[in-house]
Amino acid sequence: MIDIFGITALLVILIAFGALVRLVIGPTVPDRVVAVDTINTLTVAVMILLGVVYQQYIFIDVAIVYALLSFISTLYVAKYIGGEL
Amino acid sequence: MIELIHILVLIGLVITAALIVWQKDLIVAAVTFAAFSFLLSIEFYILQAPDVAIAEAAVGAGVSTAIFIIAIRATHDQEVT
Repeated sequence: MIDIFGITALLVILIAFGALVRLVIGPTVPDRVVAVDTINTLTVAVMILLGVVYQQYIFIDVAIVYALLSFISTLYVAKYIGGEL
Repeated sequence: MIELIHILVLIGLVITAALIVWQKDLIVAAVTFAAFSFLLSIEFYILQAPDVAIAEAAVGAGVSTAIFIIAIRATHDQEVT
């Protein structure tokens, strides 16, 4: 039963590598910002799945903090690109 | 399985670190640094150090990217040769 969550975490990390390819070859800046935002969301999913694998509920708190801070980071870059900052 | 996740995350760390140094657009470098710190946070998490992962996510995502963007806004956007 635990192996299902581990395999799912592995597959989600593989999908995050697809976003990493877009981060490397993306021609414009907004492409790369969207790629980083995708990596953030997939990272939150990986953290929760690995929290199930390790059977420790304290690991879920890391994912909560992480989801909040990745939003702030993306917001700063988006406001700079939009010319408001 | 956990070893495979380790290998993938470490490969991603090397790729993003190379891209930070190689990139000429400073905004892209700051964004890639955010991705680097996220991958480093996953690595700390897999090594079962959740407090270090929280500190890395807070500093790398929230504070560091914002301060880099503020500094780039006050200076140049591209690499000055």
